[in-house]
Amino acid sequence: MTTSLADHLRSLPDDSLAALLQLRPDLVVPVPADVAALAIRAQSRVSVSRALDGLDQFTIQIMDAARLTRDPADGTTSVDGVLAMATAGPRPPAPTAVRAAVDRLRARFLLYGPEHQLQLVGGIDEISPYPAGLGRPAAELDPRTAALCADPAKLRRTLLAAPPSARAILDRLAAGPPVGSVPPGALQAPAAGADDDLPPDETNGGAPTGSPIRWLVDHRLLVRVAGGKGGTAGMVELPREVGLLLRRDTGPLGPLRTSPPPVTTAPREPKAADSAGAGQTMEVVRHTEALLEQLAAEPAPVLRSGGLGVRDLRRLGRATGLDEPTAALLLEVAYAAGLTGEVELPGTTGRYGADQQVLPTAGYEIWRAGSLAQRWEQLTRAWLTMTRQVGLVGQRDDRDRPITVLSAEAERAGAPVARRAVLTVLADLEPATAPTAEEVLALLDWRAPRRSRGREAAHREVLAEAATLGVTGLGALTSYGRLLLAEATAAEDRDTDDPLGLRSDAEDGGSGTAVRALDALLPAPVDHFLVQADLTVVVPGPPEPALAAELEVVAEPESAGGASVHRVTTGSVRRALDAGYSADDLHGLFRRRSRTPVPQGLTYLVDDVARKHGGLRAGSAGAYLRSDDEALLAEVLADKRVEALALRRLAPTVLVTPYQTGRMLTVLRDAGYAPVAEDATGSTVVTRPRTRRAPARVSVSTRALDPLTPPRLPLPRLLGVVEQIRRGDAAARAARRAPAAVRGTPPTRPAPAHSHSDALAVLQQAIRDKALVWVGYVDAHGATASRLVRPVSLGAGYLRAEDERTEMLHTFALHRITAAVLEK
Amino acid sequence: MSGGPLIVQSDKTLLLEIDHPDAQACRMAIAPFAELERSPEHVHTYRLTPLGLWNARAAGHDAEGVVDALIKYSRYPVPHALLVDVAETMDRYGRLQLANDPAHGLVLRALDRVVLVEVAKSKKLAGMLGTKLDDDTIAVHPSERGRLKQALLKLGWPAEDLAGYVDGEAHPIELAEAGKGGGKPWTLRSYQREAVEAFWAGGSGVVVLPCGAGKTLVGAAAMAEAKATTLILVTNTVAGRQWKRELIARTSLTEEEIGEYSGERKEIRPVTIATYQVLTARRGGAFTHLDLFNARDWGLVVYDEVHLLPAPIFRFTADLQARRRLGLTATLVREDGREGDVFSLIGPKRYDAPWKDIESQGWIAPAQCTEVRVTLTDAERMSYATAEAEERYRMAATARTKLPVVRALVDRHPGEQTLVIGAYIDQLHQLGEYLDAPIVQGSTTNKERERLFDAFRSGEIRTLVISKVGNFSIDLPEAAVAIQVSGTFGSRQEEAQRLGRVLRPKSDGRQAHFYTVVSRDTIDTEYAAHRQRFLAEQGYAYTIVDADDVLGPPLPTVD
Repeated sequence: MTTSLADHLRSLPDDSLAALLQLRPDLVVPVPADVAALAIRAQSRVSVSRALDGLDQFTIQIMDAARLTRDPADGTTSVDGVLAMATAGPRPPAPTAVRAAVDRLRARFLLYGPEHQLQLVGGIDEISPYPAGLGRPAAELDPRTAALCADPAKLRRTLLAAPPSARAILDRLAAGPPVGSVPPGALQAPAAGADDDLPPDETNGGAPTGSPIRWLVDHRLLVRVAGGKGGTAGMVELPREVGLLLRRDTGPLGPLRTSPPPVTTAPREPKAADSAGAGQTMEVVRHTEALLEQLAAEPAPVLRSGGLGVRDLRRLGRATGLDEPTAALLLEVAYAAGLTGEVELPGTTGRYGADQQVLPTAGYEIWRAGSLAQRWEQLTRAWLTMTRQVGLVGQRDDRDRPITVLSAEAERAGAPVARRAVLTVLADLEPATAPTAEEVLALLDWRAPRRSRGREAAHREVLAEAATLGVTGLGALTSYGRLLLAEATAAEDRDTDDPLGLRSDAEDGGSGTAVRALDALLPAPVDHFLVQADLTVVVPGPPEPALAAELEVVAEPESAGGASVHRVTTGSVRRALDAGYSADDLHGLFRRRSRTPVPQGLTYLVDDVARKHGGLRAGSAGAYLRSDDEALLAEVLADKRVEALALRRLAPTVLVTPYQTGRMLTVLRDAGYAPVAEDATGSTVVTRPRTRRAPARVSVSTRALDPLTPPRLPLPRLLGVVEQIRRGDAAARAARRAPAAVRGTPPTRPAPAHSHSDALAVLQQAIRDKALVWVGYVDAHGATASRLVRPVSLGAGYLRAEDERTEMLHTFALHRITAAVLEK
Repeated sequence: MSGGPLIVQSDKTLLLEIDHPDAQACRMAIAPFAELERSPEHVHTYRLTPLGLWNARAAGHDAEGVVDALIKYSRYPVPHALLVDVAETMDRYGRLQLANDPAHGLVLRALDRVVLVEVAKSKKLAGMLGTKLDDDTIAVHPSERGRLKQALLKLGWPAEDLAGYVDGEAHPIELAEAGKGGGKPWTLRSYQREAVEAFWAGGSGVVVLPCGAGKTLVGAAAMAEAKATTLILVTNTVAGRQWKRELIARTSLTEEEIGEYSGERKEIRPVTIATYQVLTARRGGAFTHLDLFNARDWGLVVYDEVHLLPAPIFRFTADLQARRRLGLTATLVREDGREGDVFSLIGPKRYDAPWKDIESQGWIAPAQCTEVRVTLTDAERMSYATAEAEERYRMAATARTKLPVVRALVDRHPGEQTLVIGAYIDQLHQLGEYLDAPIVQGSTTNKERERLFDAFRSGEIRTLVISKVGNFSIDLPEAAVAIQVSGTFGSRQEEAQRLGRVLRPKSDGRQAHFYTVVSRDTIDTEYAAHRQRFLAEQGYAYTIVDADDVLGPPLPTVD
């Protein structure tokens, strides 16, 4: 007698139920109404599938064992049964490990009920139809196969008789999954020769050409099943009994591994790994800053389809000396960290919205002010949580369009999980272990096989990105990377366990340890430099912000990295002078900051540039006033009446004012001076006062004397008018006079056949007589019309005729002519 | 943090702080694979280049060792990416080998078949490779050896050249260290010995030593090592005669064994000294003297002043890949930027020593470099300001205001042998008259030159005015003061060569003085700054003084 899952759950104490909900949190979203609902949800396919996703390979194999050992009658199994199956192989796992796995399954209620009568959660068979990669029992597939399987000795004999190519297929299916699709034609009988006559063994490498599968099906070792895609000749399945027999070397469940696969790579020196990683963090921060500076200098436009163009990425990469994948990664990370953002260009709003540009945000300034380690932490945290798979950038999407940086196509919700999974694998190893990518993938596969299959590429990418960002060094997780991961995990736990944030203050030491650990590895900022005779300035370490700001102004960067090399040039000194430094400031700066005596060449350079700096002055003025008479100008300058002009003396003979020439002239003249204006070439401009005038008007004298007199027309024009009138008259008369016969027969009644031949006769007569004829016809739109014409010719089915009124030659299709009447 | 003396930059430069206690050890460790780029007074700059790394690989250093050296001496964490890059770069060397196949002659053999396929497809190698002998071997025409190596280098798959060198026609040559004809015994200096060893181990290459550090002896020692007929290419006849003198004095060679192949004489002897000029002389569009390269089975070709190697010679050199080649120079700075060609055709840099190191060992005279700034008169300034752009440098460089300054400088060093060097003949004549000194210029006959130089060496003439002909290869050991009044625009190597004229160690260890007189606030100053760059990078700090201080009564000095 088995109890339902609902009954079972109902009988549990509260904390056990809570434990279940903690292990399978999806059960409470939304909160089920009652235990029955909870039970239904716990057996639902989605929920069971999720529960399985989190299990390691061994536990899943034990689950398979439980499925295989089910009593066909009531569908229950027992711990002993599972244990027996799991330990049946040549290298059995420890029974405690099996029990622990069973306990894990029972804790998740994938198995439930008492030990000797374990029930399986419903829905499990829908999720993976082939437990442990074994097919269905022969009895369910085919009675003849079942008969074969019932006779173990015969079955073994048949197997041993299988030719090598067939055996290869069997082995592949036995390793699971137990079904395979059959290539077309593989099951048809060969054109000639005996059935058992197998072609030479060529299938071990290439696709089977037919006969081995046919042999297997004929000998009942494989069973044809429904399914398979078009283009294949159906599917075949390996019966469970045959599969178990083939697996006698490994055990019924296949190779079992109770613990994760070991890492055989020799561990690194922890210090070396940390050091390489720390070096990389400096690079990443510096490169990000360079990228964003470049972006600030020349913002990149956002494409209509989203993201930055390939050319912009290339340009940014070139300008900063980065390859494209790295530049793409850093741009994505900086965006995720909020260091860049889009800005709408003013005045470009169109139908598709405004044009946008990517620019560093205000947050970038704050980021820049932080220490190296803080900056790195900010970037790396963003990387950990960003839902972007940067490796897709540069590849093509479904529609064969390139995927660009920051575009929606590179969005992958699973990216953070993949990162966490990979880094957790590394973190769970001994410190400074540097597994190869393959080993990491194998570990991931063991830890959660259902989750990691098909994501190998993403996982490899995570490893590469972690190396680029300095989370790993020499392939091993760095100490500070480990701390950061722990912090991130702890922060998440804290958020869930402590929704009110009560403990966050108490656990202050928790956050920032990674930053501190990294800080200890990174060079301390320096506040001095070494100046050399070749005018290079070497900062032997990362400069502190104040020093960096000063150097940015006074020197050109030449080389960067752990230290930085700058060169003082004429241009850079001039830039510093432009920025407001005086020569003394610069001397002071070099004296103060330099650990070594300032070379004389530098002093001379600064002095030389400073001496010439500002030798020419530029400005703008509204007008100038010049005179060869210095005394006169002095007088003007001192004159209180022209104070309003705000005159300034540029030279003994030149004054300037911000006002325009006209105003200055007026003010000066009012004050009793006699200035003369001059133009751009220096010649005198003579002006007279201008009188105001209204716009010009025409005199009435040009009009006719008596407006009522009718205009007189010349004779030719009058004649023209007369002709026009006559024509109009003729036309009117013609329209009036069109005879009834040609005015159009009503469309309902077809024209009688004889009228058409009559019309032809009339037309022929008219051509001979050169007479005018009324022609009735149906135009291209089906309307009937009539026209008075003088026929010219008749032939090839067309009538050509002159219209005297419009002086045009018309062509009528004969079949459209309905009637013709001679003009009387 | 190890606190080492080295800072590894992400652009692959290495900064070595030389005041650090470990600096010397670090220099020894990184010298095999990093190239010294600049050596100013406090921080030396080395650079990691693919070429340098491959040379190190060829010399038997592996990537692991390079990475270890970087990490060991680095003050700060070395970026992971850089270490990976170093390892990958070094791994590219030697996947292809040039070897002598007993049946097919010179072949390109691959240890990595994929690389050979990639390389064979490249358009840059079109026509250089012959038939494919098997999957891993392709025949190569011997005459393409140099070009192929050069092209492979550019493709990033440098070939290991195992084909070796021809020995050439044997000829006994010994160093006469015991002294010859009653001369004093002498020995090769340590760095000369190292340079010869480095060259011989590498087979071919360039040795960079400061002017006056005895490059001729390095050549002589290399000849003694080769013991074969030798072709020596020099810049001009006078330099050729100096080589001859030196070889007769320092080796077992006799006058009869050394031939001169120049515009004046065409002798081909076991050791032949030819000038670049005669080799590149054309008649009717054809190079008429190229047969010299094949006149004998030369075992060694020495290129003196390799930084001046004319472009046509590059082409001939590409055909000489089977012979040992030694390039000698003080300043491997080519204003035409063809340093790379020198490396790939003659061979990589085998030995390099910072000038200041040699100076501190006492092999070259310590020198003080001074820039004297002359203020132009108002009239000169005005004519300079209105001059055409191409005339400006000449106007500034030949200003008459410089004359009294030069005289004051000459008078400052009474009793010293003084050279006044300039580029403009008119100015030199003015100077000659003003200082009452003889002039050596391009039109001076070789005989007259020799006479003047001899007189100068013996001290008969105290001041000599020389034009550009004096830039190179004149051995005037007693010259202690050089005054430069004008030059070839901003040529860095010219400046270094001119300084080199006074660097011969003086008998009493006196200091040498190098003055360069420039016109203030003109293009002359700008060019001077550019010219001084090489020497500044070698650690020579210029002191700038005002012409008035030179002309006026000596001021009380602070130091």
